[in-house]
Amino acid sequence: MHTPRPRAVVLGSLSLFAVLFVVLALELSASASTSAGKTQAAAKARPAPAETAEPEEPATEYLEPEVEYVEPEAGYVEPEAGYVEPEPEYVEPEYEEVPPVVTSSS
Amino acid sequence: MIGGIPHTLATQGWWIVSRSSGLVAFVLVTISVFLGLTMAGKPVRQPGFTRTMKALHEQTAIAALVAIGVHGFAILADPWLKPGVAGVTVPFALASHRFSVGLGIIAAYLALLLGLSFYFRRRIGTRLWRQAHRATLAVYVLGLLHALGAGSDTGSPLFLLWVLGSGVPIACLFVYRLGAARRSDERHRRSPRRGRSLPDTA
Repeated sequence: MHTPRPRAVVLGSLSLFAVLFVVLALELSASASTSAGKTQAAAKARPAPAETAEPEEPATEYLEPEVEYVEPEAGYVEPEAGYVEPEPEYVEPEYEEVPPVVTSSS
Repeated sequence: MIGGIPHTLATQGWWIVSRSSGLVAFVLVTISVFLGLTMAGKPVRQPGFTRTMKALHEQTAIAALVAIGVHGFAILADPWLKPGVAGVTVPFALASHRFSVGLGIIAAYLALLLGLSFYFRRRIGTRLWRQAHRATLAVYVLGLLHALGAGSDTGSPLFLLWVLGSGVPIACLFVYRLGAARRSDERHRRSPRRGRSLPDTA
């Protein structure tokens, strides 16, 4: 068994590197060519560094929701005062003064 | 699709280089560790076989070091990540994937230290070098954790197949090697006069 030459390992390593390079470049290029791939490539393949990258402004601006609140019309109507203070109908009974009947018992 | 390649290379070129070189480095480290553990187990006791394995082990280790260097340089040059020299050379300094990248940097230093120590083993002492060389498995484990934590291609079926296909035999070989080393120690403890042969291989 002869001693292998370093050339075989070097060539093997370089070949593997070249194949991987081409495959990865084609994969990235293909994923970037489609709109879905662009999103995927941006979100998955190249995730942002945790703390180094400055946070970017979100794509969609925050819009203040339009005010839909409408002041309700006043439906409450003050009830007309239907209560009438009843007139006092109490009439002081008239008393007829009747002279006392004196009876003589004796 | 083809028309978009120049644009892709212009904007993502360094990223593609770093991914490719990282994968090549991991494959080479895996092969080198596998060959080292296989040699240590001495499955075939033929001089030619050992010589071939040793040469392949050494060559793949050097190629892995080169690939690790390219990987680090490509990340350093990546205009999107902008890690800076400290982010690539100091463990846990890079904010992005701090822990996983830190493990990868430690693995790279360990690989450099253990790989190059082979050429200074006579100065270090073969016995000490051999003991230290067992830590090479840590390069594989740390590299795997780095790839799983920070790699962009860990979801690829081919990568997972490679990890499973290589990880299980490496784990078995390592356990076998630990057992063989223990048996050898016990044998030499019983008969200390025989001395201990220390081959240069791991």
